[in-house]
Parts: sequence; structure tokens; C-alpha cells
Amino acid sequence: MTLTPTKDQTGVSARSSRSTSRKLNRAEGSSIERQRRKLLIPFVGPAFLFYTLLFVLPAAGAMWISLHRWSGAGPMKFVGLDNYFLVFRDELFLKAFGNTLLLLFVVGIAIFVIAFGLCLILRDMVGKKIARSVIFFPHLINALVFGVLAGFIFNPGGLVNTLLKPFGVTDPPKWLAQDNLFPLIMVTLICTTTGYFTTILMAGVDRIPPYYYEDCALAGATPFQRLRYVVLPLTWDVFGTCAVLWTISSIKIFEVVWVFGGSSGAGIPPTQSWTTAVYTYVTAFSAQSTPAYGAATASAIISLALISVLVVILRRAMRRDAVEF
Amino acid sequence: MSEDLDIPVAIAPKRRPRNRPASPAMRGERSFLRSTGVGLLWIIVAVSIIMLGWMVMQAFRDTRSILGDPWGLPETIDFGNFVRAWTVGDFAQATWNSAVTTIVSSVLTVAIAAPCAYYLGRVENRFTRSISLYFILGLGIPAQVILIPLFVMLNQVYLTDSLLGLNLVYIGVSMPFTVFLLTAFFRSLPLEMEEAAALDGTTAVGTFFRITLPLAKGGILTAFVLQVISHWNETLLSLTLMQSTEKYTLPVALISFVQQQTYSGADWGGLFAGLVIVVMPMLVIYIWLGRRLTEGLTLGMGK
Repeated sequence: MTLTPTKDQTGVSARSSRSTSRKLNRAEGSSIERQRRKLLIPFVGPAFLFYTLLFVLPAAGAMWISLHRWSGAGPMKFVGLDNYFLVFRDELFLKAFGNTLLLLFVVGIAIFVIAFGLCLILRDMVGKKIARSVIFFPHLINALVFGVLAGFIFNPGGLVNTLLKPFGVTDPPKWLAQDNLFPLIMVTLICTTTGYFTTILMAGVDRIPPYYYEDCALAGATPFQRLRYVVLPLTWDVFGTCAVLWTISSIKIFEVVWVFGGSSGAGIPPTQSWTTAVYTYVTAFSAQSTPAYGAATASAIISLALISVLVVILRRAMRRDAVEF
Repeated sequence: MSEDLDIPVAIAPKRRPRNRPASPAMRGERSFLRSTGVGLLWIIVAVSIIMLGWMVMQAFRDTRSILGDPWGLPETIDFGNFVRAWTVGDFAQATWNSAVTTIVSSVLTVAIAAPCAYYLGRVENRFTRSISLYFILGLGIPAQVILIPLFVMLNQVYLTDSLLGLNLVYIGVSMPFTVFLLTAFFRSLPLEMEEAAALDGTTAVGTFFRITLPLAKGGILTAFVLQVISHWNETLLSLTLMQSTEKYTLPVALISFVQQQTYSGADWGGLFAGLVIVVMPMLVIYIWLGRRLTEGLTLGMGK
């Protein structure tokens, strides 16, 4: 009986002192945080405004325009999903869409295989910093430059043909014939993009501690086994990120196609080498026909849908339990 | 056995000199495949450097000698191509437009994105998480989607064919990436200094400007330079929005220069000069800040 009140008292006093100190702490913490929270409008507001007005609003507008027949001036006529059907019956669009898929998958797979191979070589190579810096640089150059350069390299009197001449090739193929353009564009893209992805993959491969490799060597693992059981599982997440990055950037490819091999005279590239981005631009802004804003945005929205589907699939497929190391 | 020797090396990997082939146990793997790979890699590196040097060399030769002998070297340092590109190709105006647009829009992008990223990085609740997600969604939207609506919108407020309009567009379009990059960066900064400043009675705004920003100098510089690179090279939006020659940015001027040649005959000398003008600033930036850039572009890739 006599013990309980004191117990209570001590309990209460201890609790109260603890709670006051906690309250103090919380008051301290919350005063910074409360102050910080007040900054929502001035800090986040401008960025939110710019982004919403100049990016999200146009993106929503694109959905809206794609449901109309519209030439940019005059009245908009609501046609529902007609533009989408129209576009999928348009041979030019199907060609452009096929090209985009070729870029996405064929070029994409080539880039990843080569980049991964380069990574494995670069990993413990002498002078890897220099090599890495050089192969990264093309990423910083406007793709227009490669398009124009390719025009000169494959020119009838250009670099490739003068190089082939000593080997007895007197009748070289017409590199820049309209049907050859797209394969050349694909090769150009592989050459200029691989370095960037190699650099990113390297960041993943570099994280693997060296004693894993030594352990492999001691255990007598073949290089293939080492690749299969050590390198791949530990870089898997970086691979996933790279795949998403390539998906997004490959759908945007425009510049290199636009000027590849010089201009064809009409100011637009031959239709055999179009991508969906080129299709969108030409359909809307080429001076040759009445602009069809509806069909143009519909094709852009289709590309966006393609990106979203692929990104979701990629994220699902690449999801593994992260390996902690 | 050589395996015995590398156990201490395995325990203390730091002692091993960097960039040196690894321990004795791994020295056996100098296979044929690998040395071919290394050889190929160096060939790729050499070809890249040669191509760049070749492009610069050709810019100093006239079209006839370029076509006559594409592998030749310039006999004299002749700036004629640059002069012609500069005057006839309107590259002077275009370079000026590009430079101003790039600098102004990049500075403003970072200035607007940094506070936002700071807030999103430091205040964590459901609301800020959804705002972050809202920004990240923009990373997946390609430029051709917003191209036409943007053109229509800006046309209504007379901001097409205007550098002001182009700057605004660049700022808006760059928000997702910059906010994303800087949020990750601000999160990585230690909280203690800010807490100390707050205990000393600094306001939240003061803490941001006087403590966090100076600490974040490196990350902000990286974000700025990445924007400089992307705005300097941006083509599609600028091609759409700019219509009169005196408003062209450099990539658009280059495209119109290429297209003129279908009518006026190929001026490869002038074209190479134009390419060099486009590439050189990037090379200078890369040599100056290379490491920072690759780190910035690979930051947060594992997440």
C-alpha cells in the first residue's frame, strides 16, 4: 500500500519528464519541419507550375487533339478513335512503326550484348579510364552530327569507298540508296549509343567486390559460370534500368534520321527510313500536304502507349529480389 | 601453389595497386578471346578519336580537296570554311541564339528545380511522394507527344518563333529529370548541418540558402551542365517552334544548311565547320567536367 503511490509517483514523474523531453524534442523537430512545410508553395510551386503548364497540359492536350480531325486552323471535328484506325491503315505509319520497333529491339539487343561484352573486357583492363571516357563521349554529341557525317562517309567518293578501293572493290554498293538508309541508320545508332550504356553498366559491374572474382578463380569456375552466377545476378537491376532508358530514348529518335545521308531534296527523309517521331513531325508540319494534327498526335500517343506497356512489362520481368552485397 | 599466395591479397584488396591485373589466381585467364576483345576495344577507341580529329581537320580544307582526297590533311590553317558558315550559313546568329538560350534556360531550370527537389527530398509524407511520382512520370513522355499541343498553345500567346517561348519550353520540359536528379542528391546530403543551423535559430529558408545550397554545389553544377548539354543539342522542339532564320538555334541552322545544299551543291567544307561548331563546346565541357558528368548520368541507376 505504501509502495504503490511512490511507485506511481516515480512512474508518473519519470513518464512526465520523459514526455516533456520528448515533447521538447518533438517541438524542436517539428518547428524546423513545420517551417519547412510552409515552404511548399514557394519551393515546389514554380517547378510544379512550369512542369504542369508546359509539359503535362500539352500531353493531356495531345490526347484531346488525337480524337479530332483538325488542320491546325479552323474548327476541330470530333471523330472519336477514327484517327487511330486511320493511322493503322496508313502504310507510311506502319512502315515508321515497324522501323521504330526495329530500333527498339534489334538495335537495343545489339547495344546490350556489345555493351555487356565491353564491360567484361573493361573491368580489369589497363587504361580503362581513358577507354571509358572516349566511348562515352558520343552521347554528348547531337545525333545530327552523326547523320551528316554518315552522309560523307558513305558518299560515292567518301571514306568507305576510298578505303575499299585498295581491296579491289571498284563497284561498291550504293550505300545511300533509299532502301539502304535504314540499315545504315541502325548501324550508326549501335556505334554511337553503345558507349553510353557501357558506362552505365560499368557502374554496376564496378560495384561487385573483387574478392568475388577471386573466389570464382579459386573455386575453378569457368568464365561462363562466373558470368552466369556472379556478374549477371549482381548487375541485374542496372540492366533493368538501362532497358527502360533505351526504351524511352529509342522512341524519340528523330535527328539522325532527319539528316541521314544528306537531304533528299524535299526537305524530308525518304519514307523507307521514317520512325514514328518523323511521321508525327511530317504529318503535322510538312508543307507538302494539309497538316493532319489529329493523325499526327494519334501516332505520338501510340508511341507513348508502346513505351508505357514496355516499361511495365520490363519492370515486371526484371523484378528480382535485390541481391545485397 | 599460387593460390596460397593470394589469400592475403584477398583479405586486403586495398593493397593491390589499381588498374593492375588482379591476383595470381586470376592471371591464368588471359585467354585468346579476351585479348581479341581488348584489341577490338582499343581499335574502337582509336577510331573514335581519329574520327573526331578527322572531322576537325576537314573543317580547315575546301570542298574540292576534301572530295579529292578525303583522308588528306589541311595544308594551311584556313578559317575560310568557318567564315563562310558563320556568314552565309547564318551560324553566327544561330550560335548566339543557342548559347543564350542554353545558358538562360539551364540556369533557370536549376534555379527552379533545386528548391522543389530540396522540399521533396527533405519532407517525406504521402503528399510529397505523390508529387515526386508526378514529376517522374514526365521522364517517360517523349517530346513528339507534346510537340503539336505545345505549338498550338504557344501560337495563341504569340510565343512561337520566339526565344522567350523556347526558353520557357526548355525549362518546363527539363523539370522531371532535374527534379529527379536533385531530389536524389539532396537526400544523400547529411541532415546534421541543417539541424545545427536550425538550433542556432536559422529559418528554414535561411538553412536552405546558407547551409544546404553551399553543400550541394557539386550536385547543382552537375545538374546545370547536364541541362547545358541537353539544351545545346535539343533539335525537335526548336525545329518546330522556330520559323524565321534569325531565330534559329544551332541544330536548326545546321539542318537548313544541309537542306540548302540540295540546291546549291555540296559545301562539305562549310558543313564540317558547322559540325565542329556544334561539337566543340561539348568536347570542352567534357574535358573540363568529364568525371562529374558520367557520375551524374549514372547516379541513382541502381534504384
